[in-house]
Amino acid sequence: MKKTLLCLALFVVPPSTAVAQRLDLSLSTAVITFPSSDPDTVPVIPAAPVQVTYRVRQNNNAPWSLTVLAAGDLISGPSRVDISNVTWVATPAPPFQNGTLSKTVAQRVASGTGNVNPDTLGSITFRLANSWTYTTGTYTQTILFTLSAP
Amino acid sequence: MRGPSLHWAARPAFLMRRRTLTAVLFVLIFCAFSRPVAGQTRNATLNASINGLARLSLSSAAISFPDADPDTVPSIQATQGPITLTAKARTSPNGSITLTVQANDHLRSGVNTIPASHITWVAGGAGFTNGTLSATSAQIVAVWTGSGVRSGTQTFFFKNLWSYATGIYTLTMTYTLSAA
Repeated sequence: MKKTLLCLALFVVPPSTAVAQRLDLSLSTAVITFPSSDPDTVPVIPAAPVQVTYRVRQNNNAPWSLTVLAAGDLISGPSRVDISNVTWVATPAPPFQNGTLSKTVAQRVASGTGNVNPDTLGSITFRLANSWTYTTGTYTQTILFTLSAP
Repeated sequence: MRGPSLHWAARPAFLMRRRTLTAVLFVLIFCAFSRPVAGQTRNATLNASINGLARLSLSSAAISFPDADPDTVPSIQATQGPITLTAKARTSPNGSITLTVQANDHLRSGVNTIPASHITWVAGGAGFTNGTLSATSAQIVAVWTGSGVRSGTQTFFFKNLWSYATGIYTLTMTYTLSAA
């Protein structure tokens, strides 16, 4: 009975997954700035690239992902610019992928399986679709990057 | 030879071990299925500057009126027909955008002049208004509220009179698009 229980326990809980993953994430900058530009000459405004440093350890063959979620639209007083006007181009692909910001659903920036060790770099360039319809002002919003493994 | 007392003493010990193993198994299974989702988060702030900006384009930079008999053509339409104006502007919330035009002088041909006010226009398009040219003050061509791109037309007319001295008359008009 004792041996049966121990065998069952070992089968149910593989030793490797009994240890929590160790995830590390850092950004080269906490501020992403889009300069004011003429919509006719700069229809899409690129911000300076953000360097993402990430590491995934003790993850074995489990999947991991890096997502980004906006806390809302770009806001300047009573004015707002829909956050879907912000897109990004990310490299290297894979594991990174291009996308569009959302304030409702976290969007995948990168994903993979197993460990990523040592620290690995990715580059994300955010871009704002420029328009004559925007009201003047300084717009801000917070975005949240999450590196996770199930 | 085991007596009844020894037999009873052994039973609790066996139950304790079984319960311990069961508890260990439960903990292990619990760990396996309730392991918290591992995650690292980082915040970043997006900043976007949108400054005031205005741009005006005209479909034609020259407007000409052909010679005509004042009796049969008292008002001469410009050869170019309607001129299309496209105004692009960014302004503050509910800010006004104004398009004006002003002549730099009267129509002049050497020493002869014709008042700029003899040129009028008929406008087409949302926000555009009809008007009369002036050499002394800017005349409103169109007014809008808020940022955006707008288009409209101006068709110019020249008041034809027998009193004009012959000659080729010219003036320059200056359009100003401003956002407040």
